[in-house]
Amino acid sequence: MSDETYALAHLDELERLEVDDEGLTWRPVRRHFGIGAFGVNAYTAAAAGARVVEEHRDDAEELYFVVSGRARFRLGEDEVEARAGTFVFAHPGTLRGAVAGEAGTTVLAMGARAGEVFEPSAWEESFAAFGYLRAGDADRGRGLLEDFAARHPDDWVARYKLAVFETLAGRHDAALGQLAQAAALDPQAAEYAGSDEDLAPLREHPGFGSAIAGQARPGGEPA
Amino acid sequence: MSTRSVQTAAIEQVETFSGVQNASWHRIRAHFGIEAFGINAWTATEAGQQLIGEHDEVGSGAARHEELYLVVRGHARFTVDGAEIDAPAGTLVFVADPESKRGAVAVEAGTTALVVGGKPGEAFSVSPWERHSEFLRFFETGEYERAIELLRERHAEEPESAGVLYNLACAESLAGRADDALEHLRRSVELDASFAEFAATDSDLDAVRKRPEFASALAGESA
Repeated sequence: MSDETYALAHLDELERLEVDDEGLTWRPVRRHFGIGAFGVNAYTAAAAGARVVEEHRDDAEELYFVVSGRARFRLGEDEVEARAGTFVFAHPGTLRGAVAGEAGTTVLAMGARAGEVFEPSAWEESFAAFGYLRAGDADRGRGLLEDFAARHPDDWVARYKLAVFETLAGRHDAALGQLAQAAALDPQAAEYAGSDEDLAPLREHPGFGSAIAGQARPGGEPA
Repeated sequence: MSTRSVQTAAIEQVETFSGVQNASWHRIRAHFGIEAFGINAWTATEAGQQLIGEHDEVGSGAARHEELYLVVRGHARFTVDGAEIDAPAGTLVFVADPESKRGAVAVEAGTTALVVGGKPGEAFSVSPWERHSEFLRFFETGEYERAIELLRERHAEEPESAGVLYNLACAESLAGRADDALEHLRRSVELDASFAEFAATDSDLDAVRKRPEFASALAGESA
């Protein structure tokens, strides 16, 4: 094989990261190959009835292809059964999601925005980071989010995600430091932090009030 | 109900143009009206059939796309820059360099490959070969005069497009317009010598193959 002119992988050989509590597995196809022109990822559900495409709304055109198994898609108010070999197209702005009809159902998702230069979505970094945390490799996940936040110093969401990450990792002081930075960038962070289930343990911390006011307590700086 | 008329389709429900020597082309992108990235599928009807025609992404009909192939069923053998790649179902092959020569042959009848493409750093635009492919509908129905009409319009718009000229020559050959076919074939090869290779085995040109001008046309020489 020549790495210079092509890259090769079987779907089953790609890195798998669990991204929810139902066992939804994400295979980051775009990240694996370094594709720069469009988004492409594969998702596999652990069980029948489990989510195989997260319900979300997106400005991108997205085409889903059921590689194996079967799934029930929701597109806006429509529900569509899709067996293996079926394409499902979601127009920009359409609410979309899918539930697996059988264990092991795999869906390939491809997408981009018409008329725009493709930029990899920030959620990819987040999916990977939290996936590594679930897999027990918090350092690797933290590194991804830190790199992303460093490249986007004005992005409060990047710091907010780090606050969530550190909370889930049990590092509450570090989480407060990240939350303070997020709130200093945008007061929306405080609003979200007030009701975010993932941050529930943090709300009991004596430093929470000053953090959502955008003020880090001593010891609350990110590690 | 959705206000959108087309949202789901199995591969076999998508409009398909059957090749004489090459695999059948499923027009996925056109079917869904996707404008953000390129996607098509190809199915071979027999083992040994060319599944993906050997090509690069720098020719007159190409748009310098990076391409991701996925073998969704069957078994294929890819060749990229002379390297052979065994690709059973589930295999992904990514070719980033537009100058790389890539192609695939079906190992089994019924082998289907998806190809997704786009050019990094630019908003997606449909490849010229695909934009000019409507004429194939009339090859399917044997309405060669209608194909000629469409291809002549394309030729008037892009007089230096070797691909348009080649297809015009094929349509004229099939319609019994031998002199026109030979002249357009000669001009096509003159503009892009790689069309001589296609012409050597293309059954669309059988009607003019025994004419003495055929060999000189393939050499790009005036009759």
